[in-house]
Amino acid sequence: MSGPNGMLYGGDEIGALVFDPGHHSLRVGYAQEDTPKADIPAVIGVGPATHIPDAEQKVPDGNVTQSGTKTGNELRHYIDVTELHVPRPNMEVQTYMKDGQIENWDLFEKMLDYCYTKVIRSPSEHHPALFTEAVWTTRPAREKLAELLFEKYQAPAFFLVKNAVLAAFANGKSTALVVDAGASQTSAVPVVDGYALVSAAVRSPVGGDHLAAQAKNMLNSMHIQMLPVYSIQSKEVIRERERARYTLKTLPAGLTPSWQQYMLKRQYEDFCHCIAQVSETAYDERTAAVVPGVHYEFPGGYHQDFGPERFKLTECLFEQSLGAPHLVCAAASACDADARPALWGSVVACGGVAALGGWLERLAKELASRAPSSHRLKTHAAPSPAERRFAAWIGGSILASIGSFQQMWISSQEYDEGGKGQLERKCP
Amino acid sequence: MTDILDILDIEQPSASEVTRDSIIHGDKNKKKYVTAKTVRRPEGMHREVFALLYNDNKELPPLLPTDTGKGYKQNKAKLGMRKARKWVWAPFTNPARKDNAVFHHWKRAADEAKEYPFAQFNKQVSIPSYSESEYNQYLKSEDWSQAETDHLMDLCQRFDLRFIVIHDRWDRAAFRDRSIEDLKERYYNICGILSKVKTNPWSNTVTLVNGEKRVYHYDADHERKRKEQLKRLFERTQEQIDEEQMLIAELKKIEARKRERERKTQDLQKLISRADSGSNTLNTGNTNDVSNTPTNAANMSRRHDRKLHKKKLSSQQRPVRALEAVTVEWSGIKFPEARGTGVWLRSQRMKLPPGVGQRKTKAIEQELRLMSIDIAPTPTEAICKHFNELRSDLALALDLKNALASCEFELQALRHQYEALNPGKTLTIPPSICNTSTDVESKPVGEIIDVVGSPSAVNNTI
Repeated sequence: MSGPNGMLYGGDEIGALVFDPGHHSLRVGYAQEDTPKADIPAVIGVGPATHIPDAEQKVPDGNVTQSGTKTGNELRHYIDVTELHVPRPNMEVQTYMKDGQIENWDLFEKMLDYCYTKVIRSPSEHHPALFTEAVWTTRPAREKLAELLFEKYQAPAFFLVKNAVLAAFANGKSTALVVDAGASQTSAVPVVDGYALVSAAVRSPVGGDHLAAQAKNMLNSMHIQMLPVYSIQSKEVIRERERARYTLKTLPAGLTPSWQQYMLKRQYEDFCHCIAQVSETAYDERTAAVVPGVHYEFPGGYHQDFGPERFKLTECLFEQSLGAPHLVCAAASACDADARPALWGSVVACGGVAALGGWLERLAKELASRAPSSHRLKTHAAPSPAERRFAAWIGGSILASIGSFQQMWISSQEYDEGGKGQLERKCP
Repeated sequence: MTDILDILDIEQPSASEVTRDSIIHGDKNKKKYVTAKTVRRPEGMHREVFALLYNDNKELPPLLPTDTGKGYKQNKAKLGMRKARKWVWAPFTNPARKDNAVFHHWKRAADEAKEYPFAQFNKQVSIPSYSESEYNQYLKSEDWSQAETDHLMDLCQRFDLRFIVIHDRWDRAAFRDRSIEDLKERYYNICGILSKVKTNPWSNTVTLVNGEKRVYHYDADHERKRKEQLKRLFERTQEQIDEEQMLIAELKKIEARKRERERKTQDLQKLISRADSGSNTLNTGNTNDVSNTPTNAANMSRRHDRKLHKKKLSSQQRPVRALEAVTVEWSGIKFPEARGTGVWLRSQRMKLPPGVGQRKTKAIEQELRLMSIDIAPTPTEAICKHFNELRSDLALALDLKNALASCEFELQALRHQYEALNPGKTLTIPPSICNTSTDVESKPVGEIIDVVGSPSAVNNTI
């Protein structure tokens, strides 16, 4: 708190943490900061703990047979890239997310443990926790999360906010039509006065994962092989479009398909990140050919320029009935007529796919042709790609550090008295 | 700053600020400046003059302007000039919370504990409440059950009367779907009834004006109609919008054309009346010639026509007026009268007044050249007068010619329109109109001038 009357900037920081779980990654960090402390992949490697012996096993009183059975059954969880991206035998990659909600609570607990011990490095009972959630999160999932935070982590306070609302806040709006183009799906949610209109929210399963799958198809049809980067020992410098010359690494046996697929998916994501570009209007071979190509080198050493393919790839994001423009129109028309002008006036785009080059321009253009001409249409998005990806987290960071928000938290006292039933009332 | 003060030997104002010096040496090391003996200001000498001669150190005033004083510029922020104040991670309770939960935040150690400042923003809408008996007595409705009404009031409280959100969160599983207007109607209805039977008014719906309760009345039917219209407006198809745009553009075009026509009519009318007043005063020796002027205007409209004919008659019957009247009523170009006092060149009188436009001036000069008259003749008294009159007539003639051309054009346009609308028929324009127009057109300039009243004609009357 600062300023003469303690109210300068309207902010008051109480050491709260903001968690933004998503399909691609979990963002976690302190409120009042402008970027999350960590952006952790939303998958956990689960494998036998035989690989690295734990320190506890060297405790002298350990029985030989007992410790043997222990190591046989014990599972270890590998979280975050430095652990997860190491090839380990029998390590399965699992996700705790499903349809925008947390599904596997045991795995999610492991993730929270990791956040508190390795990222925040501070006991959970010191920090109020603000979580984001998808608009369609079911009541049991919300209550389960509150229960977990209060009972296992002893959080002093807890709050849940819809991520669309936070994305609107991050862009300085309390009323907005939020288009969240995420990894697993794209959604359009109207937000009025800081409340998401749940019944008007629409979504489609087209997102970053779909784009990566399209990239895979495209490369297959072009007969370009995406070798896993961890399997390459060395590669030679070759000329463009020449056959790749490389030597393979000897990998440990028993790598699971789930882990291999996960690693390949990361590579396709990287490919999309480097290559994909959204054309301003619907894909046209001739205009796309004019734009200079972008060079990409595959892990095996093969490299070539990608020209019109860059634009062709992203067309799947703007399909007629699944693309973001259609969702926006559907969401707006599901709203009350009185709210529509304000919503059209501030369409806010966020999410990882929205950070793609040209995506926002294309959205704006398509909306301009679809929006009723009686409305003033304006499309907003944070200028930097990172801010677009982290929009919901940033909104949470802003919200949790506002002085007048500090009365909104569900404190542990309230939870003890009222139980988890009050969550629906307190966190609309 | 301190260095400069030292160099200039100016005593430093003893500041309470912490400087590096005061931290290192403490206060004992302060320099003492010897102040010169003050010289008294002689009687009668101005303070400013004295200040120039003598200042505290008996120095001469600087030759170059210096800019070291604090008076001219704002002081820069002095950072790090004060001792840092301590911050502490202190617990606080928020009076806006009902549970007295303790959170921690940073605050200055020096700040005294006071109420959490952000609690003042905790504003809530007051929603009327009712007991079961009150409900049964006053609020019963065939359409609404009590459970549903309770749900509505609960949502109103939770979402602070944001009806769009209330409608969104309406429990559709338990109750039937209702429109926003239905919800609003029920809510304001309840407010109205309760404010009548209960004594405590709630701020947002009931206002006291002159001690009299005013209940906000919600006109649901009107709102429903409004929303229906709004929806229709928003859900127009592109074709409908295009059509509307097209119609609006057409309307604008028509209006512009109408305005243009009105403007032309007015111009012509002005011109006619002007020509009329000019011809009134002329010597109408040649009746045929005079009649040309009104017949020009006869193209315009019947009303004007009639009026003009009347005028023509009167002008024919009226005896010739005195010349002074002509000069006063001159309508071509009004040359300014002789200036008041002082000597002036006569050629000044020949200058065209500033009101005459560039184009007109050019046209007049062109005409003069055609008649092989010098543009700037020697300004004798007589030449001056005649020259001015000639040019004035020329201007009028040009105006009339233009008017005639436009009338002719309109006549032809009307004829074409008539023929287009009635195929097979031809509009025969009375030769009196046509002929005159062609006649005038073909007439040499000199004759036109004769018509309107050339200097020679004027001269004849004298």
